[in-house]
Amino acid sequence: MALLEIRGLVKRFLGVTAVDAVDLTVERGELVSLIGPNGSGKTTLFNCVTGYLASDAGHVAFDGRTVTRAAPHRVARLGISRTFQQVSVFGRLTALENLLVFLQQHQEEDFFARLVRTRRVRRLEADAIARARTLLDLVGLGARADAPAGSLSYGQRKLLAFAAALMPDPELLLLDEPAAAVNPTMINQMKDHILGLHRQGKTVLLVEHNMDVVMDVSQRIVVLDHGQKIAEGTPDAIRRDPRVIEAYFGR
Amino acid sequence: MIADLLELLVHGLTLGSMYAMVAAGLALMLGVARLINFAHGEFFMLGAYVFWFAYRELDVPYPLAGLLAPAVMILFGMVYQRTVIRAILPHSWHVQLIATLATSIVLTNLAIIVFGTQPKEVPTALSSRILDIGGLRMAWQRVLVLAAALVIFWALHRFVTRTRAGRAMRAMSQNREACAVVGVDVQRVAMVAFAVSAALAAAAAALVSPLFNIFPDMGTGLTLKAFAAVVTGGFGYVNGAIAASFLIGVTESFAGSYVSYAYKDAFAFVIMIAVLLWRPQGLFGRRIGI
Amino acid sequence: MAPGQQRYVVHVLIFTALFAALALSYDLVVGHVGSLSLAHPAFFGVGAYTAAILSTRAAWPFAADLAAAVVAAGLVAALAGVPLFRLVEHAFAVGTLGFALVAWIVATNWVEVTRGPLCITGIPKPVVGVPGGPALAIATLPAYYWLALAALGVVLVLYRLLTTFRLGRAFHAVRDNEVLAASAGIDPLRYRMLAFTIGGALAGGIGALYVHYLSVMCPEEMTVALTVNLLVIVFLGGVGTMRGVLVGAVLFTALPEVLRLAPTWRLVIYGALLLVIVVRSPEGLEGLVRRRASAR
Repeated sequence: MALLEIRGLVKRFLGVTAVDAVDLTVERGELVSLIGPNGSGKTTLFNCVTGYLASDAGHVAFDGRTVTRAAPHRVARLGISRTFQQVSVFGRLTALENLLVFLQQHQEEDFFARLVRTRRVRRLEADAIARARTLLDLVGLGARADAPAGSLSYGQRKLLAFAAALMPDPELLLLDEPAAAVNPTMINQMKDHILGLHRQGKTVLLVEHNMDVVMDVSQRIVVLDHGQKIAEGTPDAIRRDPRVIEAYFGR
Repeated sequence: MIADLLELLVHGLTLGSMYAMVAAGLALMLGVARLINFAHGEFFMLGAYVFWFAYRELDVPYPLAGLLAPAVMILFGMVYQRTVIRAILPHSWHVQLIATLATSIVLTNLAIIVFGTQPKEVPTALSSRILDIGGLRMAWQRVLVLAAALVIFWALHRFVTRTRAGRAMRAMSQNREACAVVGVDVQRVAMVAFAVSAALAAAAAALVSPLFNIFPDMGTGLTLKAFAAVVTGGFGYVNGAIAASFLIGVTESFAGSYVSYAYKDAFAFVIMIAVLLWRPQGLFGRRIGI
Repeated sequence: MAPGQQRYVVHVLIFTALFAALALSYDLVVGHVGSLSLAHPAFFGVGAYTAAILSTRAAWPFAADLAAAVVAAGLVAALAGVPLFRLVEHAFAVGTLGFALVAWIVATNWVEVTRGPLCITGIPKPVVGVPGGPALAIATLPAYYWLALAALGVVLVLYRLLTTFRLGRAFHAVRDNEVLAASAGIDPLRYRMLAFTIGGALAGGIGALYVHYLSVMCPEEMTVALTVNLLVIVFLGGVGTMRGVLVGAVLFTALPEVLRLAPTWRLVIYGALLLVIVVRSPEGLEGLVRRRASAR
């Protein structure tokens, strides 16, 4: 059974069909990229899968469970993590706290246990802090753990958002343009992180404009144009596909 | 019986005209500046006092005093936009809301200090002359309010659709950034919007004050009702706000008579909450544009 | 100090403690989940009327009417929150203000229950104690001062527990970025409702203490003037910070009492101050102090 299974997903905005009957499956452990020209519906697809937009038709299943039109926080708790194209962090929380937020809802959410800080909750918190520090070190932000996230540079915030998405150790990771608007060194860093995740057996669905990154890391590529899936295959096959060339360079 | 119902309808339409003139201004400012002016009811209140001062203290004839109030308030609206609004525009909506609320508190309490809490009465020759159409009796002042409201809304519509400034406002309400890019003077347009809004509120004040009394804290409740109309009509959509104002006015008039007079001021909010639960985008739901 | 003066000082201290507690309950909503509610006087009023009515007409003991006030206000807040939280940002603020206005209209006109403008009078002084054990009547000013201080202590502890550690982090995540918070598995509505309900319940409890102290409850206690007072305390002191709110409460409750300002002038000055501070330093005096400190 595929980890993520999207069947006939449709999303319309004011009469414009942004996602048009798209089928997409991602197997466990796979690294799949979603590409396409601007406005082809990639981010809209992400938003439908993660519950930020209500799809008009179609079916989404994660690990065999239906998640069609579930609320974003429910989708997140099932084990799908995502990042956003616009870098987003909690500006007034510290870098460390940013990461802690992403794990605590997965560990427990009992109001009274949190209020009185039971021993169990304190132990979970200690575990979370240890994990957060490891991840901060991994993305090179160990020294900035106690800085307010709002004070970090653009690239650092992007890395922080990436690390935050990893906090709950998600089954599936949806990355929305992780390499956009960062410098070449950081692009390579990102690429290494993504490949590292793949080696650990994580399942990744990537939306990315940077073709070097996409071609280097992906096992399989899905191409969207005008909301429709126009091609699917290995990086080599996609490179040669006339429909893809037409979509990118034909206009 | 029929005459009673018609009389209630006329009362409701009069109230609706007042709310609509205030709500239209509120929607205009919301559209152009993306800001809720909590002090908007105070524009009405100050307009009413300007009118009272000219008409009762200086003995200016009614038509002239009625025009003087909007004229003075246009100036006030422009000054307000130049000072308070300019200062708060770069800040978050929290700051904007609290700042305009603070302005409203300052203006209300200054009015209490200057004019006292005793209501001012401004009867005109028209407010005591009764028109009798086959048993339907109403003060001529109400006829004037309804007629003037029609003219004012027609003029507002022409202004927004036909003039350069009006078209710029519509454009700005749809896309501010694009307007700045194509060379619309955003600050100037905002100032015109505030001037027009202030004039509308003052015109309403000069028209209805002879029917009701003037008192310093009448602004806050009016702002809230006008806002209820703006929300009910579809956030920031001027025609929707006008239509919703009449709905609220007529409901208040009938419910005040048949349900409970004491609770009549609560109906606007009940309508607003009901509409929001049923149609969150408002009755005439349009997301963008004035 | 002459006895009269001494009594006056204690009276000001009681007021300050009660307003500090009320402002903290308000800051839970405004400062920590970032929902600009203007409905707080309604919850204060529900609690105050609940205590006033139960203690005068049904002769409930103090502890019971206080508990009832907390529950009633919390319940009203939870019920009002359901439609109100469908509104966002400005619309939420205006909707809550409308709600507060309706609550005031009801308090003024529902004469059979609230006695309207005639006010509920003769609310007894509180008696605290365990059932069956010794009872202590809070009849003197200093005794009431200790009671108010204890109430402030309870609110302070709750405020602290709610706004730090995991709960506080979830509240702040919702305040800073609701969309991102949802991607972290936080249900934004749940946390907003939580803060709104707890804030409302606490306001109701403080309302009960307030009317037991004054022994009278009138509709004027729950007008928009109270909202302005709270906004001034919270936004001038420092929104979302315990110290800031406490400083704000001392400055803007004790000072005007001591200066014996006329209410209208007080509101003019408050409004002007609020306007200036909120534009110049949106984080309040706390922010000004911090900015000065970091500039050095």
